[in-house]
Amino acid sequence: MTPVPAAPASEVPAIEVEDLWFRYPGAADDTLRGVDLRIEQGDFVAVVGGNGSGKTTLCKTFNGLVPHFWSGDLVGSVRILGEDTQDLTVAALSHRIGYVYQDFAAQLVRPTVRDEVTFAPVNFGLDDWSERADTALAALDITELADRFTWQLSGGQQHLTALASVMALRPRVIVVDEPVAELDPARATEIYERLAQLNREGTTVVVIEHHAEFVARYARSVVLMADGAPRWHLPVADALARTSDLDDAGIPAPQVVAVARALEQDGPVPLTVPDAARWLDERGHRPARARQAPTGPAPTGQAPAGQVPATTRPRGQGEAAVAARLSGVVHGYRSVSGAWNPVLDGLDLTLREGERVALVGSNGAGKSTLLRLLTGLKVPRSGDVVVGGTNTKTVSASQLSDQVCYLYQRPEQMFVKDSVRADVGYFPVDRKRSGADELVERVLDRVRLAELADRDGRLLSGGQQRRATLAIGLAMQPALLLLDEPTSSLDVRSRDDVIEMLAALAEHIRCVVVATHDMHLVAEWADRVIVLDGGRIIEDTDPATLFSRPGVLTRARLVPPQVAQLGATIGMLPPPLSVAELLARLAPNLPDAHLPDAHLPDAHRTRTDAR
Amino acid sequence: MTAPPLTPVAPAARPVTAPDPAPKGRARRRDRKDRDTISVEWVKLELMRTAYATRGGLLSKRDPRVVIWWYLLFAVVPWFTHSVTVLASLFVLAAVAVLVSRVGPLVLGLFVIGLLAEGFYLLVAAAIFGGGTESIVALAELTLKLGTISMASMAAFVSLDPEKLSDALLSLRAPALLSFAVSYGYRMLPMLMEEFHTIIDGHRLRSAPLPSKGFLGWRVVVRLGTTVVQAFYPMMLNTAKRTRTTVEALETKGFTFAAENDAGRRIRLAYLKVRLGDVVFLAVSALLVAGAFWLGTQFPVLD
Repeated sequence: MTPVPAAPASEVPAIEVEDLWFRYPGAADDTLRGVDLRIEQGDFVAVVGGNGSGKTTLCKTFNGLVPHFWSGDLVGSVRILGEDTQDLTVAALSHRIGYVYQDFAAQLVRPTVRDEVTFAPVNFGLDDWSERADTALAALDITELADRFTWQLSGGQQHLTALASVMALRPRVIVVDEPVAELDPARATEIYERLAQLNREGTTVVVIEHHAEFVARYARSVVLMADGAPRWHLPVADALARTSDLDDAGIPAPQVVAVARALEQDGPVPLTVPDAARWLDERGHRPARARQAPTGPAPTGQAPAGQVPATTRPRGQGEAAVAARLSGVVHGYRSVSGAWNPVLDGLDLTLREGERVALVGSNGAGKSTLLRLLTGLKVPRSGDVVVGGTNTKTVSASQLSDQVCYLYQRPEQMFVKDSVRADVGYFPVDRKRSGADELVERVLDRVRLAELADRDGRLLSGGQQRRATLAIGLAMQPALLLLDEPTSSLDVRSRDDVIEMLAALAEHIRCVVVATHDMHLVAEWADRVIVLDGGRIIEDTDPATLFSRPGVLTRARLVPPQVAQLGATIGMLPPPLSVAELLARLAPNLPDAHLPDAHLPDAHRTRTDAR
Repeated sequence: MTAPPLTPVAPAARPVTAPDPAPKGRARRRDRKDRDTISVEWVKLELMRTAYATRGGLLSKRDPRVVIWWYLLFAVVPWFTHSVTVLASLFVLAAVAVLVSRVGPLVLGLFVIGLLAEGFYLLVAAAIFGGGTESIVALAELTLKLGTISMASMAAFVSLDPEKLSDALLSLRAPALLSFAVSYGYRMLPMLMEEFHTIIDGHRLRSAPLPSKGFLGWRVVVRLGTTVVQAFYPMMLNTAKRTRTTVEALETKGFTFAAENDAGRRIRLAYLKVRLGDVVFLAVSALLVAGAFWLGTQFPVLD
C-alpha cells in the first residue's frame, strides 16, 4: 500500500457516494437505501437525523469499516478522494480518512497520550512518526498532556487525544461522531473551535451532531438523513431554515431560528445570537419595557463568592422544611502520586423540600462528589452532611437510601439484574416492602416501559435506558432524589421526555437535585441553581438571574441557552428562559418603539428589597 | 405525557426524620470516617501505583529485557538446590531487591500475610501428620523457594510499566498479540476497577441493610461475597459492549497491518538499548547468586 496519498486535484470530491444500498447480515431491512451524496473538499458537513436514520452506518462506509469489517450486502459505490473504498483496505483508507468515535474513551488503546498518538504512525512504519505525533498534539494544543495516562484525563482531554491520534496519519477528511455528547458547554465549544481550525487548514470535516446550535455555528453544509438516505444536502443557512423537515427528524431548530420562524413564516433565518439580535432589530422587534416577573423565587442580591448561605435566600411563603444540610464540608481524594486534591472546600448548603435544584459547574468542579456525599457512599473529611435529620456518618449508605436515591450518569451501571423489572424491583423487594410488586408495575407503566420490562436494560435505546433508571429511582420512593447528568448523550426528543418526566416527579418527591451541564434543562426545569467552582458555591440563585451574570458564567464555564443570550443582548433583564417567554416579552411591533415609561420590572424591585 | 397517576408512590407515609436521628443507643458503633489508608480508594491507588511503576526504584531504570532476564535467573535457580543455606541467601537477596524496587505496602503486606499463613499451616500439617523435623525442613525449603520467586516477581513487575513490559516481550520475539494483550490489559485495568466499584456501590445503595453483622461478621462476609459475584456480570457486559469500538479503532490504526509488517516493530523497539549499567547489574546479580551457592558449600545446614 502507499502510506501517504498524493494530493489529488481539488476538483475531486472528498467523498462521493453513488446509489449506495447496505444491509447488515441477518437484518430484515436495508440500513442504507440508495444514498447519493457528494461532499467537496474543504467542506464542514453536519450529518443530522433521528436515531436509526443510518447516520453512523453511512459514515462507516466512508472509512471502509463497512463493508471490509462489517460485512453485509453492499450495492453501489463510495469513493474517497477519487478512489473506490472497495479497492482499498481499512488500513490504507485510514491515511485518507480519520474516524473519531462517540465513545472516545473506548477508542483509546494505549496507556499514555503520546503512545496513543504515535500508535498508528508506528504501526504503519512511518519514519516521521515522532514528528507526526508532535504536529498532531500541537495542532490540537495538547502537547502538555503527552506524558499523562489516558485514564487520568477529563472527558474533553480524552476526546482531543482521540482526535490527535487520528490526525497523526494526516488524513484529508475526518469524521467525528457526536463530538460533544458528554462535555460541559465551554469544552464543547473548544472541541468545535479546534475542528473549525483544522477545517480552515484544509481538512474536510464531517460531524454527526444532534445539537442544532453547533451545526448553525460551525457547519458549512448540512445533510439530513431520514430512513437510510439523505433527504437533502444544503448550505447551512438554507438547511436550518427548513424547520419543519428538521423537526420531523427529531432535530428541533436552534432557539434563534425558532424565534425567527415564530415571527416570520418564510425567508432567511439568523444562525447565531448576534445575527438574531440584528435580525430582530431590522424588523423593529424590541423588548417591551413593562413585563411580568419570571416565575420562581426572587433572585438574591450580589453576594460575595463562596458565601451564599441558602438560608438567607428570600422566600415567598415561609421556610420549607430542610431536606438536607451540609455544613463546613471538606472533601477530596488522593492521586496516584499521593498528593491530596481538594474537591469541596468548606461548603455550606441547605436544601429544602419542594425545591428543584440544578447543580452546575465545569467538569471537575465537585458536582458528583457533592452528590456522593449526600448518598452516604462517602462521608466528608471534615464537616457534616445531614440528610432528613440523619448525619451520614452515623448510618450506612444502605440505611440512608431509605431516604436518598442516586441515579448514575451512565444508565448501564444501574442495570445489575437481568431485566428492567428486576432492576426496578430490587430495592422494594429486597426490603420486603408491602405491595412491592404492584409498585413495580405501576412505576413501569408510569415510564412507559411495561412492554419492555423483561429485557435487559442494556438492550434498550438511550432514551428508554434513562426512563428505566428513573423508574428505579421512583420505586425507591426517596424523599431526596439525586441525578447525575440525566440528559447527557440523548437526542433532543428523548431529552425533552426526561425533562417532562422530572417536572412530573415534583409532586411525589420532596427535593430533586440534578448535576448537569445541560443549560436547557436548567432553564426549563430548575427553580434554584447552585454554581460550584473551585470547591465552593460561587452562586446560588434562580436560572434567569444566573444567565444575567456574565462574570459567574465565564468563571464556571457555563453557556446560557441561546434564547437567554439573545434576550440579554437585546436588553431583556432578567433574560427569558424559553422561546415562548422571549416572544411574549417582545413589544408589539410598532414602528415607533417609544413606549411610556412603565413601572420598574418586578424583579428589580424585589432585588432592591432583598438588600 | 399521558401516564397514570402515581399517588401511592408518594413517600408521605414514611417519616422523613428516619431511622434514628440521634446517635444515642448506638454508642458501641463508631462513626464512619474517610480514611487515607486501608480504604477501597487506597487499594485502588496502590494497584495503580504497582501496575504503572510510579514509585521508581533501582530496577525501573534498567532495560526491561534485562529485568526479565534477571527475573528468570531468580525464578529458575532456586529449583536447582536443596541447600537451606543457599535458599536462605537467595531469599535475602530477593528481599533486598524488593526493598530497592520500592514495592508498595499493599502488595508487600499481602505477601507477608501469605508467607506467615503458609508457615503456620506447615507447622500444623507437620504436627498433625507427624513428620518430625525432616518434613518441617522439607516444607520450609519449599516455602523459601516460593518466597524467593514471589519476591523476585514483585521486584521485577513493580518496576516494569505496561509499555516497557510489552515492548520487552515483543523484543524477545513473543507473539505481537501477547505483547499487545499485556499492554491493553493494563490499559483496561483502571476502567474495569472504576466500573466494578460503581456497580458495587449501586448494590450498597439498593440492597436492604443487614439486620446485624452476625457472629464474627459472617453476614458481612457473605453479603460482600455475593455482591462481588453479582457485580461481575454487569461489569463484563458493560465492558464487552464498548470493546466493539476498540476493535474497530485498532483496525483503523493499523494494528493488523503492523502484525504483517516489520517496520512498525523496528520503530517501536528502537529505544530499547542494553547499556553498561544493565550489564553490570546482571553481572553483579549473577555473582551474588554464585556467592549464595558458595556459602552453601561452606556452611551446609541440614543438607
